[in-house]
Amino acid sequence: MSERFKNLLIAGVTLAMAVTLVLLVATNETPDDRVERIGSAIKCPVCQGEAIADSPAQMATDMMALVEERVAQGATDEQIIDELLGSFSGAVLLDPPVSGATLLLWLAPIAALVAGVGVVLWWKSHPGRATPDDRLPVTGSRRLVGGLILIGGFVAIVVVAGTLLQDRAGPAEGAADVDVQNLDDVSNETMEAVVDANQDNPQINGMRLALAERYFEAADYRAAFPHYLRVAQDPIASDEEAATALIRLGWMAYDGNEEVQTALTLFDQALEIIPDSQVARYLKGQVLWCGAGENEQAVELFEAVLGDDDLDDSIRAQVEADLSLAAAGEGCA
Amino acid sequence: MNTSAVKWAGLAIAAAAVIFSVVLASRFGTDPGLVESPLLGEPAPVLELPLLDGSGTFDTSRLNGTVTVLNFFASWCLECRNEHADLVATANAFNDRGVRFVQISYQESAEASSAYLDQAGRSESTLYLSDPGSRAAIAYGVFGIPETFFLDDSGTVVGKIIGEADAFILGATLDSILAGETPGQKITGDTQQRPGD
Repeated sequence: MSERFKNLLIAGVTLAMAVTLVLLVATNETPDDRVERIGSAIKCPVCQGEAIADSPAQMATDMMALVEERVAQGATDEQIIDELLGSFSGAVLLDPPVSGATLLLWLAPIAALVAGVGVVLWWKSHPGRATPDDRLPVTGSRRLVGGLILIGGFVAIVVVAGTLLQDRAGPAEGAADVDVQNLDDVSNETMEAVVDANQDNPQINGMRLALAERYFEAADYRAAFPHYLRVAQDPIASDEEAATALIRLGWMAYDGNEEVQTALTLFDQALEIIPDSQVARYLKGQVLWCGAGENEQAVELFEAVLGDDDLDDSIRAQVEADLSLAAAGEGCA
Repeated sequence: MNTSAVKWAGLAIAAAAVIFSVVLASRFGTDPGLVESPLLGEPAPVLELPLLDGSGTFDTSRLNGTVTVLNFFASWCLECRNEHADLVATANAFNDRGVRFVQISYQESAEASSAYLDQAGRSESTLYLSDPGSRAAIAYGVFGIPETFFLDDSGTVVGKIIGEADAFILGATLDSILAGETPGQKITGDTQQRPGD
């Protein structure tokens, strides 16, 4: 038996074993494995590049339940994926389809490989030596080509990495273990993950409010709103937490949506919980003055706020300034 | 192959790599929720959903033959609150013209959505449904709320609004559907995901 034949035989046997192994693994797939495999190919539509099999988001969990149900009903992989594509479009596929515009994505690595092999072969067949008939010596052209490829690769890596870092900032894994007492260095994304992972924990309202306050201070009322609402409606929230949430919701209703009556109602609800809340009283006065032109009622509230001896000096100065304008019948600035 | 040709080939490969990378990277920032809904021009999904008040279920195939506005909402969604009064007003205004409004609670308990509607107000001509397991949201491919779908009287999805809608947009869209047009998809603003997702 020739050496060549032996090598071919070994290669053939190895290939046959590999194919058999793959077939065995494929045919032994349990329904749970199938659900997991299909779920790993579907992108969670409300997440950042995460498969529904890996995401804890409600939508991902519900989509996994649908996949499980379809598998149990005997649907094929193609039918299940087509059903989701029919609702969400190709945007839910983690791997783009091998057709149309995305064909380029699949062909690009192959083209890059072929081009790379071509360059390497040329490189090996052209040791650095000068040629009289070229304007540049071969060593120069080799450096130029190599340099361009290096620059191109570097720019590509920087652009892709920069975009990825920008889009996916903020760790989520292990976020539930963050120390609730020290939030200064914790990103909003991490706080969101911690709050979500501890929704039923009564201790989480403090962090939820801290997160909402960050959004509120950044005037991102849209992001702050659901967190304040959750605290305001939480029966186990402390009086202080509930009042803070109601006050913020009231101000956002006025400042963000010019809803004067809603704001006044929310401030009143806060004052029912904490009757000596000067913040609620002052902001209610502001809304009455600026939003409803009710200067007299605003003056009463501002005077009541100034009756608090513990008022901070800077706040006292602000309230006094507002009081004098409102009392003079002026509109607010 | 002479060295000059290889030099230019290398240059072309490097340039192609850079252009390809930039194009690819630019796509990372694209919001997949803004792609055109594949449901447009297709028959609306048929589902049987519980009524929000728990008094029974509703088979959406019964909407066939009626121009329908189908809106996904939740109490935690600020844009949904902002558009709510306009949805109620438009539902009342188009009731006489045979238009049906359906609002489906999105990823929220029926109790929480009902409590919100108690406060925000209901339209008597609107059907309020809950969506356990997000089956309707998945069938309609909802990426975030508010999202509003428009069905013509043959049960075909002919329009979609992503973001907050007002009475003007709702009314204009319905007028065009009643005139036999297909308004397609409009993006009016941001949508929200359930807090924490």
